[in-house]
Amino acid sequence: MDMNFQPLFDSWFFLLKALGTTILLSVLSMLLGFVVGVVVGTLRTYGGRLVNALLGFYVDTMRAIPLLVVLVWMFFAFPILFGVRVDSMTAAVVALGLHLGAYVGEAIRAGLTSVRRGQMNAALALGMSRVQAIRTIILPQALIRMLPPLGSLFTIAIKDSAIASVIAVPELLRQSQTLAGQTFRPFEIYTSAMFVYFLLCYPVARGTDALYRRLAHLGSS
Amino acid sequence: MTADAPILSARDVRKRYGDVVALDGVSLEVRRGEVVCLIGPSGSGKSTLLRCLNALEAVDGGTVAFEGRDIHAGADDARLVRRRMGMVFQNFELFPHLTVLRNVTIGPTTVLKLGTGAADARATALLAKVGLADKAAVHPAALSGGQQQRVAIARALAMEPALMLFDEPTSALDPETIGEVLAVMKGLADDGMTMVVVTHEMDFARRVADRVVVFDRGRVIEVGPPKQIFEAPHATRTRDFLSHLGWHGESIDIGIKEKK
Amino acid sequence: MNLQWNVVFDNWRIFLDGALMTVFLTVTTMALALPGGLLLAFLRLSPYRAVRLAATCFVEFFRATPLLLQIYWVYYVLPAAFGIQLDAITTAILGLTCNISAFNSETFRAGILSIRKGQWNAGLALGMSKGQVMGRIVLPQAVMRVLPALASTWVSLFKDTSLVAIISVPELSYVSLRLRAESYRILEVLTAVAVIYWLLGYPQAKLVDWIHRRWKIVE
Repeated sequence: MDMNFQPLFDSWFFLLKALGTTILLSVLSMLLGFVVGVVVGTLRTYGGRLVNALLGFYVDTMRAIPLLVVLVWMFFAFPILFGVRVDSMTAAVVALGLHLGAYVGEAIRAGLTSVRRGQMNAALALGMSRVQAIRTIILPQALIRMLPPLGSLFTIAIKDSAIASVIAVPELLRQSQTLAGQTFRPFEIYTSAMFVYFLLCYPVARGTDALYRRLAHLGSS
Repeated sequence: MTADAPILSARDVRKRYGDVVALDGVSLEVRRGEVVCLIGPSGSGKSTLLRCLNALEAVDGGTVAFEGRDIHAGADDARLVRRRMGMVFQNFELFPHLTVLRNVTIGPTTVLKLGTGAADARATALLAKVGLADKAAVHPAALSGGQQQRVAIARALAMEPALMLFDEPTSALDPETIGEVLAVMKGLADDGMTMVVVTHEMDFARRVADRVVVFDRGRVIEVGPPKQIFEAPHATRTRDFLSHLGWHGESIDIGIKEKK
Repeated sequence: MNLQWNVVFDNWRIFLDGALMTVFLTVTTMALALPGGLLLAFLRLSPYRAVRLAATCFVEFFRATPLLLQIYWVYYVLPAAFGIQLDAITTAILGLTCNISAFNSETFRAGILSIRKGQWNAGLALGMSKGQVMGRIVLPQAVMRVLPALASTWVSLFKDTSLVAIISVPELSYVSLRLRAESYRILEVLTAVAVIYWLLGYPQAKLVDWIHRRWKIVE
């Protein structure tokens, strides 16, 4: 098998832009997922039974339906249903963010319920309202505790960004496909793409592990 | 409300957990400046009552009034009352993600809306008072149990409460560190703080309490000054309980250090 | 907006065939990935450094790269680089199996390591060999601990099979997308496939929750 990495070097800028799109997509969907997840997780823990059931339906739906289907629906069906135009990047961010948000919500919920009841009592005893107690005392501790699972969810966000290729978002996988089709060098191009994703995901996972080790004592009550 | 009226009064408080009756019609009155110690076997309801006194637990019957206000009337009433009461927990319950100083200032800044400067000044003074001024910048995980509990007392005092509730404050401490916490509490009592203390430290109750309330199985079986309870108790159960703890009327000195 | 739902109902057979393929892929992959994951876990715990390193590289690589890319890689690279020509379904199963084996190996490894050393010592102290301790004491306990994680992985796998649509494997997503393209009833078909996945996936998710509750680790 002869290998020729020249096409890669020739199109380095093209692939660099694609990498930028991947990073942008990952970060935006992480942010949306995080915000959605904190809201959902907090409401499910403290919002009462009806809220818990309704949001539980949202979470279980995202657990049941593949991201590919959510994404395709968001891009093709949503515009028809609501009469609005949706560009591929927006559809990707929303679909990824909502999908991720369900899992982040579950992680936050686990974190909140793992904080001792005594902490809530101590905060209430100072005269704080429940909202103040959750915001300043319980949620920070929950987030610290949930750094390992949140870290792995963020690597999932990076990997899932590749699925956006099916609606032609010009991220790394899509542009690699294009390049492979033009140059007939699938091995070199896809293997390089694998390495790039690895270099993105591996440090994020290890980084959150290291961060957690440093901060763990701040979360243990 | 006259100056003689009790600052805190619980009348016929009832509480159950499912089938278990935790409090079976408990009444208690606390006057300003009084130190009231609640003693009794485990599970007799003392801690439950304490948590009902600042509405951390709801009551199934009876009333609790603080400074004339029914504390179980609504959520706002409960919150207003809690600002005026301080609580110290058996497990300290310091906030682990905050520094010691921030643990003490978070109540004043968040609840009393005090400015940062004023809150810091107040906190620094209180930490000095409990002997931990040099630990202001560390996190609770770096402190011993006794040190954490002293910070917890400072945290409660930072709200300038009219009354302090202590829920077995020394039960989770090593014997060596019990003394330092009891010394702080004695100091508070000498300064005239109104205190309700659930404790197993009989020597502390004998020396510091104005009144001792004996609990058994959800009821108050005896109330009186320490001299009565420890030397000539009226109720048989009181005598049983105290002898079970090894108290036979003589002084057991556990070395409460004198306040500096 | 004019909706014609009869497109969905007239073509129920297509959806059914797609769903059956999805189930087939999931079952086959997991059947291969359970022993695969166990093997990888043991390799990672091997006393030989080179073996450990190789297995770890395999696992970390398949865990840190997108499944979609892995599928493409297997589909396009194997023929081009090694002259092996596989059909789409086999390729899909191969890619999925490697991916899920890597995740399973982590689950098994964590499960084996989580058994307290005391259990090992107790078994050895009774005079058992290392193999006997592993087989009779550690592994059975590890299985109970890993069951919840494996159940979660199963549900993930069920959803991941949708990705092999890109190499034209006729599972549920692929047949739905093709039907959408042929019938132009985009909203109806896409909503229908979402609902079908929901009907299939929701009970599985609830079952996983039950498994997690039932086998909660209590030390």
